[in-house]
Amino acid sequence: MTGFIRRRPVSSLLLIALIALLGWIWHERVALWAFPDIISAYTAKEYCSCRYVMNNDTEYCHGYVKQWLPASGFTDDPAGKRVTVSGMGRSNSAEWIGERQGCRLQP
Amino acid sequence: MPKGLSLIFLLLLCVTAQAEYWPAEQWPTTPTPTGPALQALEAYAFPSRDDSTRQGIRTDALLVIRDGQLIYERYAGVTTAETPHLTWSISKSLMAAVLGVAYGEGFFKLSDPVAKFYPPLQKHPDMTMADLLHWASGLDWQEDYEYAPLKSSVVAMLYTRGHHDMAAFTAAHAAYAAPGQAFRYSSGDSNLLSAALKTIVGPERYPDYPWTAVFEPLGIRHAVWETDATGTFVASSYAYLTARDLARVGLLMAREGRWGDRQLLPKDWVAFNREPFAHYHAHEDDAVPGGQWWLNRAVEGAAQPWPDAPADTFAALGHWGQAMYVVPSERLVIVRYGDDRDGSYRHNELLRLALKAFAGKVQP
Repeated sequence: MTGFIRRRPVSSLLLIALIALLGWIWHERVALWAFPDIISAYTAKEYCSCRYVMNNDTEYCHGYVKQWLPASGFTDDPAGKRVTVSGMGRSNSAEWIGERQGCRLQP
Repeated sequence: MPKGLSLIFLLLLCVTAQAEYWPAEQWPTTPTPTGPALQALEAYAFPSRDDSTRQGIRTDALLVIRDGQLIYERYAGVTTAETPHLTWSISKSLMAAVLGVAYGEGFFKLSDPVAKFYPPLQKHPDMTMADLLHWASGLDWQEDYEYAPLKSSVVAMLYTRGHHDMAAFTAAHAAYAAPGQAFRYSSGDSNLLSAALKTIVGPERYPDYPWTAVFEPLGIRHAVWETDATGTFVASSYAYLTARDLARVGLLMAREGRWGDRQLLPKDWVAFNREPFAHYHAHEDDAVPGGQWWLNRAVEGAAQPWPDAPADTFAALGHWGQAMYVVPSERLVIVRYGDDRDGSYRHNELLRLALKAFAGKVQP
């Protein structure tokens, strides 16, 4: 073992870094798995509320939910008051429920 | 002659006693005092607005109530007097008012363990309603919004892992301190209160309770309060009110929980809202936490959070610059909605300029 470290110091360091990284990924696996949903869920929910709760216009609401990472897909169905957004490989929808309840992420 | 004088004095007293203004369907209005003080306030609150860069101070609404009368209001951007604006964390203080009505009905005590009303907290049997109201659950919560999205409990609660059942998501957090011993601002704590209220008033009354308890008695007609998938109100973040309607809650608080001749919130409840949390240490947050409200009080020898405002000032505050300031000593309620995406807005500056424009001109 010490012989390997002496012969391949760079590889050894890289190996340790890789093990540490894998350990961190395992430790944060739940948060990391949920992470890609943030952009699309945030955009869908807050756009829905901007448009159908606060009754602002579409142009304003697009600017209102704009993020540093743009969403890849966006559909707003005004008849069903349902907003679907995709980004970072995930898709999320928010739907207007009623006058008092406003919008909610689905499902 | 002295008899006549005292009669006149009595008459005057009656007139002043009756001259307490309350909003009916609309707010009674009084003329806005114009002049350089108002100009300075407007220059601060309403600089030229850039909706594409979203930089700088971007006030959506500014409304001032003095002595129960609307003395000033102005809207900007797309927001109007009819817009039910997102209040973000002002919702927490609104939930405190809703809880206050249930408290007044005798449904719970501040010292009650939360687990009595929300069984998933049975592993924290010492956590009380007062602890949650002080944001002192002791749960290891991370409140950052945009800057640490991976570790943020609040982003996960609102948008990813927690959005189905926000209270359960919160309750699953480990403890970092004993309940009631340390302040840590937590949207999760506020949603645990909301979940507890479901048991406190019963699942039948709960869906309408914010309306029957607070909004309807105050004449608020267009409130929206979003829920999670279990029907629990998102007390941390998602109440929407017009600026005029939010100010009604401010007037209720300014007048110690009284609305007209009805004591809607018990006086001791409002006093609890306005009492600094005993284990709060100076500079742990931007203002001093009371019971789900923010106080302008000096603690541990540190200066008041807003040095240019009276010490009795208290506020409901939310993300992106939402604020409602209540200054009982000046009989003022100030609602400020905004969409500030950087940190340039200052509560103290708004308060300083608003007080200059509107305070100290009360009729004797």
